[in-house]
Amino acid sequence: MEAGDEASGRSAAQRRAESRRRRLLQNSEQRMNRIVGFGKGDADSSEDRHTMEPRFHLDLDPNDAWTPPVSSKRLSPYISETGGSKNTTPSSTPERRGSPLPDSREDLGEDDLSRGVRQRPRGELSSDEHSRSPRRGLQKYLSRFDDAMKLRGQLANEKAAQDSSSDPEELDPFRLFRLTGSVLLAVFVRIFVCQYLSIFAPFLTLELAYMGLYKYFPKVEKKSKTTVLTAALLLSGIPAEVINHSMDTYRKMGDVFADLCVYFFTFIMCHELILLFGSESS
Amino acid sequence: MLKVLQKDAEQEMEMRTEIQNMRLELSTISMMDEFARYARLERKINKMTDKLKTHVKSRAAQQAKIKWIVNIIFYILQAALMVSLIWKYYADPVTVVPSKWISPLERLVAFPSGVAGGVGITCWLVVCNKVVAIGLHAVS
Repeated sequence: MEAGDEASGRSAAQRRAESRRRRLLQNSEQRMNRIVGFGKGDADSSEDRHTMEPRFHLDLDPNDAWTPPVSSKRLSPYISETGGSKNTTPSSTPERRGSPLPDSREDLGEDDLSRGVRQRPRGELSSDEHSRSPRRGLQKYLSRFDDAMKLRGQLANEKAAQDSSSDPEELDPFRLFRLTGSVLLAVFVRIFVCQYLSIFAPFLTLELAYMGLYKYFPKVEKKSKTTVLTAALLLSGIPAEVINHSMDTYRKMGDVFADLCVYFFTFIMCHELILLFGSESS
Repeated sequence: MLKVLQKDAEQEMEMRTEIQNMRLELSTISMMDEFARYARLERKINKMTDKLKTHVKSRAAQQAKIKWIVNIIFYILQAALMVSLIWKYYADPVTVVPSKWISPLERLVAFPSGVAGGVGITCWLVVCNKVVAIGLHAVS
């Protein structure tokens, strides 16, 4: 008797171990769905699942399919083991009931499981509506988290590239042309023009001329660097095109400011040199 | 700082030379005939390589830390110098030009001296900063 009990106990333990192994080997998306509380028979939200799929995969194989036929095939060995009379819909897994941990179901008898399976469809429709929005929120959060991790990786790479490279940004010909033009104009204005009008008027004219001359110079491809600021802006939901456009505008304003500084510096230096030589000669 | 870094670099060179010698020795040993010796030497090489990697990592981290500290000190000194110059010469213009030359920005340029046609210390510091940055960028 005892040997018989032992054998039956061992076979039950073996069965439990086998079922546990099968559950662990099942599709990880299914597991995530069970944790989230997402049912397999929910046809309406399957579209959302598919649209969110590229973002939702954190450590999952992108080739894994979420389609019900695949999952039902995977479930079938488990279901056939627990009993053929059970409801074989993919949503009717024991884990859907309560605790997300599959191991918590080990202690339940088969009757409890079947009761749970039978009772599920009744409450499912009413809870679907409620569970959908937190699910979406969670998926959105996970996608943002994924983006944040990618941006973090990009930032680290940018920093490593900057550290390794000795020459981060070269003076392109147009920039050199601008600076030279500003210096020459400042000297010219100091000598001939400043007595008649403000020194900033010729400078504005020069900048307008540069805007027109820009297209005649070879365009240097400026790689958009991922900085902490751009990463924060991206994560806050601002589209990348808007950020690029703004960065481009700021870059142009920076160029104009640099020209103005060089122009003013040269003008003042010229003025001081003329005063110096004039006082020495007198 | 330089002495410490120099010492680390010498240690690293020694380790690299040792690894290279061991690899040369490994290439002369036949794995079939003297497997035990081969395996022992390979283990030694792996251990030394791991040690070298750790050493290089720690030296790189140390260098980065020193660079960061030097940068911070430099920026603090620069800021302190600028603040002290502005504090001392806020009322004196750098130079004075006829105010119509720098109109309509004469007030901005003259800030904080308040002298009509004058170039204030703040404006001059900003301009000089930018020019020096461009010059260094062009030279480097």
